[in-house]
Amino acid sequence: MNGAQAMVKCLELEGITKIFGYPGVAIAPFYEGLYHSDIEHILVRQEQNAGHAASGYARVSRGTAVCAVTSGPGATNLITALATAYADSIPIVAISGQVSSELLGRDVFQEADMRGATESFVKHSYLVKDPDDIPRVFKEAFYIASTGRKGPVLIDVPMDVQLKKLKKEFRYPESVVIRGYKPEVKVNISQMRRVVAALNQAERPLLCAGGGVILGNGEGVIREFCEKFNIPLVHTMMGMGVLPKRHPLNFGMLGNNGKPYANKAVRKADLLVIVGARIADRAIPEPENLKSRVIIHIDIDTAEIGKNMGPTIPLVGLVSEIFGKLLNEKISPAGQEWIDTLEEIKHTTVDTRVFSDRLVNPNTLVQTLSEKMDDDAFYVADVGQNQLWSADNYVMKEGRFLTTGGMGTMGYSIPAAMGAKLFAPDRQTVAVCGDGAFQMSMNELATIRANDVDVKIIIVRNGYLGLVREYQYNLFDSHYIGVKLNDCPRYDKIAEAYGIPYFTCSSNEELDDRLDAFLATEGTCLMTVDVDGEDRVK
Amino acid sequence: MKGIFSVLVENRDGVLSGVSGLFARRGFNIDSLAVGETDDHEISSMTIVSTGDQRTIDQIEKQLNKKVDVIKVRRLSESRSICLEMMLIKVAYNVSNRSSLIELCSIVGAKIMKVTPKYLLLEYHAETEAVEDFIHMLKNYGIQEVQRTGTIAMEYK
Repeated sequence: MNGAQAMVKCLELEGITKIFGYPGVAIAPFYEGLYHSDIEHILVRQEQNAGHAASGYARVSRGTAVCAVTSGPGATNLITALATAYADSIPIVAISGQVSSELLGRDVFQEADMRGATESFVKHSYLVKDPDDIPRVFKEAFYIASTGRKGPVLIDVPMDVQLKKLKKEFRYPESVVIRGYKPEVKVNISQMRRVVAALNQAERPLLCAGGGVILGNGEGVIREFCEKFNIPLVHTMMGMGVLPKRHPLNFGMLGNNGKPYANKAVRKADLLVIVGARIADRAIPEPENLKSRVIIHIDIDTAEIGKNMGPTIPLVGLVSEIFGKLLNEKISPAGQEWIDTLEEIKHTTVDTRVFSDRLVNPNTLVQTLSEKMDDDAFYVADVGQNQLWSADNYVMKEGRFLTTGGMGTMGYSIPAAMGAKLFAPDRQTVAVCGDGAFQMSMNELATIRANDVDVKIIIVRNGYLGLVREYQYNLFDSHYIGVKLNDCPRYDKIAEAYGIPYFTCSSNEELDDRLDAFLATEGTCLMTVDVDGEDRVK
Repeated sequence: MKGIFSVLVENRDGVLSGVSGLFARRGFNIDSLAVGETDDHEISSMTIVSTGDQRTIDQIEKQLNKKVDVIKVRRLSESRSICLEMMLIKVAYNVSNRSSLIELCSIVGAKIMKVTPKYLLLEYHAETEAVEDFIHMLKNYGIQEVQRTGTIAMEYK
């Protein structure tokens, strides 16, 4: 068995059935191994999208996904996807081919120092120098990616290591021992007691759920916790879906792109329980203002606690374990007056934004679309105005809302939707992007077609890089530069070129029927929805 | 405030750059960094001295702990640790100031490692402040070259 065969064997033993990738010379031996394996390879059209597809796949499968690229430009193209996955804590094992060991450091053809280049974008990385290390390295990589605070792990394998025979017999380790990595944390009992006491003392408790709740499979316990103790919830963009939108305890997305009433709820609360959230600038722009409240910060990553705000009570551990324990504690439920107050705030906070009637109202688009979607559908939002309109209006039922909240990587939605759908072919999958983001990843229409993936793609078209334009409007006296996309390209021709049905919608009146037809169509299809370039998020 | 960290790491390639990269990326200061193997050749020990506010010093410890190749991080108390650094220094002399220079060395406990017609090569180890004071005193003679190891530290109970 050579190194490449060992790599493939490791993936098989990890239960990997699909990988996303783009071959090249330096990874060719690994692909030869794949040729003899049952693992299905999905050929993307650019390496970055292999990473995003793996991200979509990992998020809906709640497991670790794999992508593979060649050395040099193939590998550097992947970096943006790794950084994206790192910011959103998505477990990915990325395999990159590398030039032969003896050539390392000589700047030969297609050599790029991937370990160095990705140092701050991956949870951990390996440069494999001995084929006998492959079983241990792969076992560790999957373990590191999927435990603690999850994230991408890179395995860089020089070509000669892939080709060389293992000296020892292949044995996949059963367990992992890494001296410097102990992700299991014991929940601190005295901190737990403080949490319980704080919950009992609070009159206006509020739970703020981040993406960590979903990554930790904590939606169920959080929901039970909120319901049992009558505790209202707000969430970050990545925490969307912890409670359904219409749940009586859900008071929406907070932050400067969120609901004003959610932010008011945060200001009114006397106890804030922050779970699996970074307290980053978009969700809580001025953490200083929260100082007068009791703040409980719960996270699996110790370093997140106190990074952006000093909490009153820090608590490190798994969300499922902590809230599982809290459910058994004696906590007096919060009074109904608090919920009533929030309800009142919710109903009296008026949305003063004005949207053009000329074309399609983007809010109506997202509301209507998500109402029509299956209860358990995947909605993948790209980046920009479309993302914020999506987050603002999406009617979350029992499905998933996937977006890149941390890195904000344009072009994420199409490959991520493809990855998600490839894991769960029975779940309806809709990607919503702007015309800017679409043009960053429309090449993946070919991958989608080639693999018969049924993804419904909606382009919210206004002919602009809308969010940047909005920024220029707000901060630079409408000095618009570098934001006009014009009417180019002809999307109907793009759809035709890729052989997929095409729909359009340019008025609120026709929205219902067009969306019905679009969603009812078998297989991938593309729809452009025209919105007014002057429509803003705020 | 000052933070002295004693960090045990895997003795592998890329680990030092990972640790120093972490400091650079997050804007943490490195006042000094000394690395060497421990009695176990698979493990290296780093002593990192940094300055920053409480939040920064806390974050340094937490972020270091997140690195997979970092085995153990300890924040040392300056008052309960022996903190030393070593210096090699070339100091120019002439007939008139030679004996005062030798006298100074013997007062502070610096060793004369090499004598040439133009300079003395001295070895001195002490706490950082003492090393700096000594350098300051030697400026009157004419310093030709300085090499410092950075602080290494060990805590006692």
